Amino acid sequence: MLQVILQVCSMMKSDVVIVGAGPAGLVASIELASKGLQVVVVDEYYRSGGRLLGQLYKDRRKKQVWAGKIIANDLVEKAKSLGVKFLFETAVWKIENKTVFISNEKIKQIHTKTILLATGAIEKALPLPGWQKVGVVTAGAAQTFTNLHNVKIGKNVIFVGIDPLSISVAIEMKHAGVNVLGLFLPAPSMLNQKSNPKEVLESIASASGMATNPIYRFGGKLVHGLYTKLLLKFLKFNLLKINGIPIYIRKAVTEINGRAEVESVNVKNISIDGELIGDGKNLLVDTVCLSGGLLPLIDLSQLASCVIVDIPELGGFVPLHSPYLKTTVEGIYVAGNITGIEGAQVSMAQGKLAAWSILKEFKLVSEKDLLQAIKDVEQARSLSPITFLPNIHRGRQIMNEKWADYKNTIGESFDG
Amino acid sequence: MVKNVKQKEIRFNFNGKEIKGHEGQPIAAALFDNGIRAIRYCDVTGELRGIYCGIGHCFECRATVNGISGIRTCLTPIEENMNVASNLTGVQYDEE
Ligand SMILES: Cc1cc2nc3c(=O)[nH]c(=O)nc-3n(C[C@H](O)[C@H](O)[C@H](O)COP(=O)(O)OP(=O)(O)OC[C@H]3O[C@@H](n4cnc5c(N)ncnc54)[C@H](O)[C@@H]3O)c2cc1C
Ligand code: FES
Repeated sequence: MLQVILQVCSMMKSDVVIVGAGPAGLVASIELASKGLQVVVVDEYYRSGGRLLGQLYKDRRKKQVWAGKIIANDLVEKAKSLGVKFLFETAVWKIENKTVFISNEKIKQIHTKTILLATGAIEKALPLPGWQKVGVVTAGAAQTFTNLHNVKIGKNVIFVGIDPLSISVAIEMKHAGVNVLGLFLPAPSMLNQKSNPKEVLESIASASGMATNPIYRFGGKLVHGLYTKLLLKFLKFNLLKINGIPIYIRKAVTEINGRAEVESVNVKNISIDGELIGDGKNLLVDTVCLSGGLLPLIDLSQLASCVIVDIPELGGFVPLHSPYLKTTVEGIYVAGNITGIEGAQVSMAQGKLAAWSILKEFKLVSEKDLLQAIKDVEQARSLSPITFLPNIHRGRQIMNEKWADYKNTIGESFDG
Repeated sequence: MVKNVKQKEIRFNFNGKEIKGHEGQPIAAALFDNGIRAIRYCDVTGELRGIYCGIGHCFECRATVNGISGIRTCLTPIEENMNVASNLTGVQYDEE
């Protein structure tokens, strides 16, 4: 008897469970609830917004400030007013036969008709000797503490890893009054591909075609100068600056020093092909922000037996999915950075697309609506103020091709 | 633009020392504001540890909060009279 009661108490039912209260999950929850579906959003963080929370910058196109914290709050309020249920500080640890297993004090399982995985991305580690010291943080931590918690995380700060994320966080920190001494490459190692000056420069140049204001200007210069004298000049000398922050495309950090906390780093010159040269110098810093790049967070889709494919253009391993964001497992959908690394506006458009795709299953929207939602994603992509991966468009094409192949091999017609 | 509404001031305790912070701030952020970055010693190497990922993934920032061990200080908002303790007890901090 007691057991029966416990079971009843620890179980919940819903039409849709959304894993992740980032921009993708939040937008999806609003779309679904406004058409009358019962929606539960689960997030392991203590508040909603995901990586939106740390974002604060000027949007060059719209000429306005993109304040993620406020956007997230507005979305949550709207979702709540439509009856969406939120479970915070609750991790999803398994998905099996339309049952979602969660780590919540009261509720242990949710039985649902549909699941949307919107788990976002994580930062890749960038192991360097001394990286465990107090004062070494990830670029994401630096962003969160600067923009969300309004904390200055150091006095003299450097970034290791040169990419759109570290560049934009460095600019944000400088705005917040932190002394950012510069961005450096990591010392070459088996584990990272971020030490080749030429490749790094080309990658930020093409990724920044539509990036935030200063990166854009910088990228624009490079795109036009690609393979010309300008690129060579940048590669030859250390004279790159963005918003007054030096970008040391020819210097690598080889070690982080300090007895208790970070006190300095060793910096060596690096050849155009990524080989360390010379003896190096010691630079006094108290804080090091590591930026190893972003990876789609796909473990739940793996646990749920979704087919996974490796598409480097999208950021690595991602769940195979249709243009309508359906995975290979019936009833499981994906949206946001789990499908590939892109900016928040694209994630929001994908949240809507996934929601409409689900609504279509419930016969609440038409095929035409869905096609419009796909167009909206493409529009968001072309207007995005930040682009993380240079060949993202190609990556999306490859995914569509792989989906068509998959449908062929399992003998179904291509139905998206 | 985002205006930061001044939140209510809150006092809590970190390893026996009284710390001031603001309502809604995670413990680690309040410690940072007070010049404290080292949160604990690593049991294995004896080295100091502080925040690393800032969003609850790495568990580097854990401490004992109101008697419960393993709490991530980067996620847990401070509360009035909260007691935060780690194996750093007795260590002198550089006051800055
Ligand atoms: C460190 C970092 C910085 C970034 N900075 C920018 C930026 O400046 N501008 C920009 O446009 N984009 C940025 N991005 C890209 C960012 O991923 C997108 O902007 C957008 O936030 C992705 O939205 P999402 O909804 O897919 O995921 P997220 O916003 O990442 O949200 C995912 C949510 O899922 C939750 N979650 C994950 N797994 C589980 C689980 N098993 N159980 C419960 N909850 C779970 C997480 O707690 C999180 O709240 C950044 C990404 C990272 C990682
Ligand atoms: S800093 Fe990584 S969990 Fe707190």
